[in-house]
Amino acid sequence: MISSARLRRWLLLALLWGVALLFLVPLLWMLSSSLKPTWQIFETPPRWLPNPPRWENYSEALTTLPFGRYLSNTTVITLLTIVGHLLSCTLVAYAFARLRAPGRDTLFVVMLATLMLPYPVTMTPLYVIFHRLGWINTFLPLTVPAFLGSPFYIFLLRQFFLTIPRDFEDAARIDGANTLQILAWVLVPMVAPALATVTLFTFQASWNDFLAPLIYLQRPDLYTVTLGLQFFRSTYTTNWAYLMAASLTTMLPVIAVFFAAQRYFLAGISLAGIKG
Amino acid sequence: MQHPHPGRARRREAVTFYLLISPWLVGLLTFTLIPIAVSLGISFTRWDMLSPPELVGLRNYARLLDDRLFWQSLTVTARYTLMYVPTELVGGLLLALLMNQVDARGIRLLRTLYYMPSVLSGVAFVVVWMWLFHPEAGLINAGLAQLGVQGPRWLADPHTALTALWMMSLWGLGRTAVIYLAGLRGIPRELYEAAAMDGAGAWRSFVGLTLPLLTPTIFFNLVLSVIATFQTFTSAFVATNGGPLDATLFLVLYLYRKAFQEFQMGYASALAWVLFALILAFTLLVVRSGRWWVYYEGETP
Amino acid sequence: MTKQTVLILWAALCGLLLSGCVATEGGLVQTVVVTATPTAQPEGAKIVLRVGTGDSGEGLSPHLRIIEQFEAENPDIQVQLEPVGSGDYYARILTQIAAGDPPDLLQIGDDAVPMFVDKGAFLPLDDFIASEQYPLDTSIYLPGVMAPGQWNDAQYLLPKDFSPLAIYYNKKLFDAAGVAYPQEGWRWEDLLATAQQLTRTSADGTVEQWGIQLPGPWTTGFEYWVAAAGGQLIDAEGTTFAGYLDSPEVQRAVQFYADLYHKYGVAPLPADMNAFGGGNSEFDNGKAAMRLFGRWPQAGMLQNPNLELGVAPLPAGAERAGVLFWGGFGISALSEQPEAAWRFLRYYVGAQGAEVWKDWALPSVASVAESSGLAADPIEGVWLAELNHLADRAYVFTPFWGQTADPALRRVLESVILDPTADVAALLATAAQDAQTALDDLRP
Repeated sequence: MISSARLRRWLLLALLWGVALLFLVPLLWMLSSSLKPTWQIFETPPRWLPNPPRWENYSEALTTLPFGRYLSNTTVITLLTIVGHLLSCTLVAYAFARLRAPGRDTLFVVMLATLMLPYPVTMTPLYVIFHRLGWINTFLPLTVPAFLGSPFYIFLLRQFFLTIPRDFEDAARIDGANTLQILAWVLVPMVAPALATVTLFTFQASWNDFLAPLIYLQRPDLYTVTLGLQFFRSTYTTNWAYLMAASLTTMLPVIAVFFAAQRYFLAGISLAGIKG
Repeated sequence: MQHPHPGRARRREAVTFYLLISPWLVGLLTFTLIPIAVSLGISFTRWDMLSPPELVGLRNYARLLDDRLFWQSLTVTARYTLMYVPTELVGGLLLALLMNQVDARGIRLLRTLYYMPSVLSGVAFVVVWMWLFHPEAGLINAGLAQLGVQGPRWLADPHTALTALWMMSLWGLGRTAVIYLAGLRGIPRELYEAAAMDGAGAWRSFVGLTLPLLTPTIFFNLVLSVIATFQTFTSAFVATNGGPLDATLFLVLYLYRKAFQEFQMGYASALAWVLFALILAFTLLVVRSGRWWVYYEGETP
Repeated sequence: MTKQTVLILWAALCGLLLSGCVATEGGLVQTVVVTATPTAQPEGAKIVLRVGTGDSGEGLSPHLRIIEQFEAENPDIQVQLEPVGSGDYYARILTQIAAGDPPDLLQIGDDAVPMFVDKGAFLPLDDFIASEQYPLDTSIYLPGVMAPGQWNDAQYLLPKDFSPLAIYYNKKLFDAAGVAYPQEGWRWEDLLATAQQLTRTSADGTVEQWGIQLPGPWTTGFEYWVAAAGGQLIDAEGTTFAGYLDSPEVQRAVQFYADLYHKYGVAPLPADMNAFGGGNSEFDNGKAAMRLFGRWPQAGMLQNPNLELGVAPLPAGAERAGVLFWGGFGISALSEQPEAAWRFLRYYVGAQGAEVWKDWALPSVASVAESSGLAADPIEGVWLAELNHLADRAYVFTPFWGQTADPALRRVLESVILDPTADVAALLATAAQDAQTALDDLRP
């Protein structure tokens, strides 16, 4: 006789893997396509196992274009953006969550509102500004704004600061700590899962960003990975196998970061640990 | 916290506030407000982006009222938002709860699998689904055929195209789930231990403890999800280009078409501002409602 | 105290920002990018020409090859290619033009020419063409390939590459069914009969093999059917759709197209409404005997073991007609170095450029088409011969075609493909009306 606890564990595992399969099927299909010659990709009925697998798709896709260059460009932009977001968004979010000031709530709504205007209509004026600054064909339009905060992450971090009881700061303040010390030593550790999220999402957004690099980076030697991926599609034809192979490859760094960063989501918060 | 001069302390706090947010203010003034103001100005002009703009007053806004495609795109966008936002909020939370099964074997791998599809960037993501939705060769209809069901023509049928895009977007739920997961992990373990000691079962501690403490995260996801779905673009741009028969003509897709394919940047800007007003009204509503259901442990009045 | 600390922090942040700027401009970029490609750094007094193109992937190779040759022969000029893949090319160049910062040379597709030229985005080339130092002999080109670059009797763009439409066919399927290959002089009736002979249905009623794969609601491709029916979509002044878009000829074209799908059942319904998406692959899979399309996927088809490829001329309806798809280069009106741009342009699209192009696309220079043997090739010769039957595309009559009748016509085509009982005459009447309203609104 199976105990009910064991039965529940089996059911849970079945559920976990069942859902995983749903998420995995399209990816497996993509993997399979990436190993086919072009004419096999749209075959009916579809075949799962490419025969023979065309591994050259990967080497060809990644060498027809200077993907090494694109990777190093993307890495520089991504790292600067992460540093920028972590610094600026933490400060701004803390202020919005904790400090009282006239106009604070209005500014908060203004901040949300800036997310609401679709990019295609602000793109041109923004381009003019960066052009006047002489920043076209540099990474500056892609990285400097990160140091000035991003509404999405400020909002996210603010939500997390707000869940922390004030007692901790009051206790620290009585011990003589100032605002920044409290922020750095008391609050930041407590929102670590949120900061890990900011890092991950910034990494992903910056890695996958398309429209901004498209507009600001015009010299091919400055191109990023996503701009490179576009090169497998032209007006009238698309090299599907290469597109799939290169898309899967360039997705790997983000997956690796996620796999490693899980530890920090998992860290969890223990009040005792901080009090002690 | 007791201060001899409460007025001075308050002033000081306000100054600190503005100092701390000053990086964002600088960014707001230089890189955000100017483009926004310019786009508002453009919405009162007729501008093909090739020759100088010409002032036409409110004409673009007046034209909107008679524009069948504008109303169609508004309907499509609203329908999609109503379909997607609830499923994202609930589905994302359920997925996060699965990801939070710390004790399950292989959970790190599973979590990565759930998250993986949301990493795939735009075009590849959509293209894979176009194959899955293929009426004859696609896996979805092949599966339905196994069950004896004749599948619909999905993206090629105006009745199912929007549903197909909705199904496609569910594949990216991992992203929302990760935000929830961070929220779940932010709930102090001691609270659960205390609840368990009071004899609360799994369900009661979920409803009585997890949900209330998760409201700030739910609130965040709700606001962001509304803003994002109102601006849906890539999936329709790549998979259907708004068709068939405008069944997936999202507002931002229509706007993009007007701006860069039909050379009517003035009209596109007017569209953008109508969209802006709609999202803003919606968001203010959500923010207002938040006072009644969002619970902050450390709120500052 | 708090205030001081915040101030210090803010100052530090600014410093970091600044040093970030310097690092990115002077240091990081230098080390990451520029040192790796010394060519990217303009040296000395070299003129740097920027070239915008919507080509991508393997399509960039001919551009790069020509640039390399040109730079070797013209050491005072350096050419910087700025490619953008797929559909976002126009978004980028429109933004650049609006900001006063476009590339010196710009590539434009045929139907965008009237709009860009009409709004003054390009320099007229006639003076350059007739110039003494760097003239261009325009008689070297194949028939029909200069016209799409003209507007109001002046030449603004020169041809990069082009493709007519034709009918691909799979000899394997024709041979198996014992059907003769299509020949010049065949007509719509022959197309239908051939397609019917090649359509095979299994016992349970599912179609195993289709006669012809059609490009769905693709409006520009559809202009062939209109021209072959003897119709015209807009009047020659570019002001009126009524009596044109809804004329009996256009009705006949739409009806025949719809009948191939529904009444005769010789064409598979599209899997998605995108003619270039790849979702409609019956021909590639050896499940459709013919396909109406341009030359673009031909290189891939020649490698496909399902196919034994042949290309046939377009069938005649009331008229023997075809349509041309075209991409060309012009000099931006905002270029500060039009003379240097012209020197490159005439090389790019001239005989030297065509020598390179011929390995990637159809060359536009007649002598190159002859000497390379392409004109006599059983496949390429068919494409080139189509140039003798070109009808005017609708866009040549108005800069606003893409904003007015194109979406209206697309709606008609989608409707008749989706609904076998659609009323073609009524749909076209509505389309003509919608297009007219839109046009009246846009014309100055």
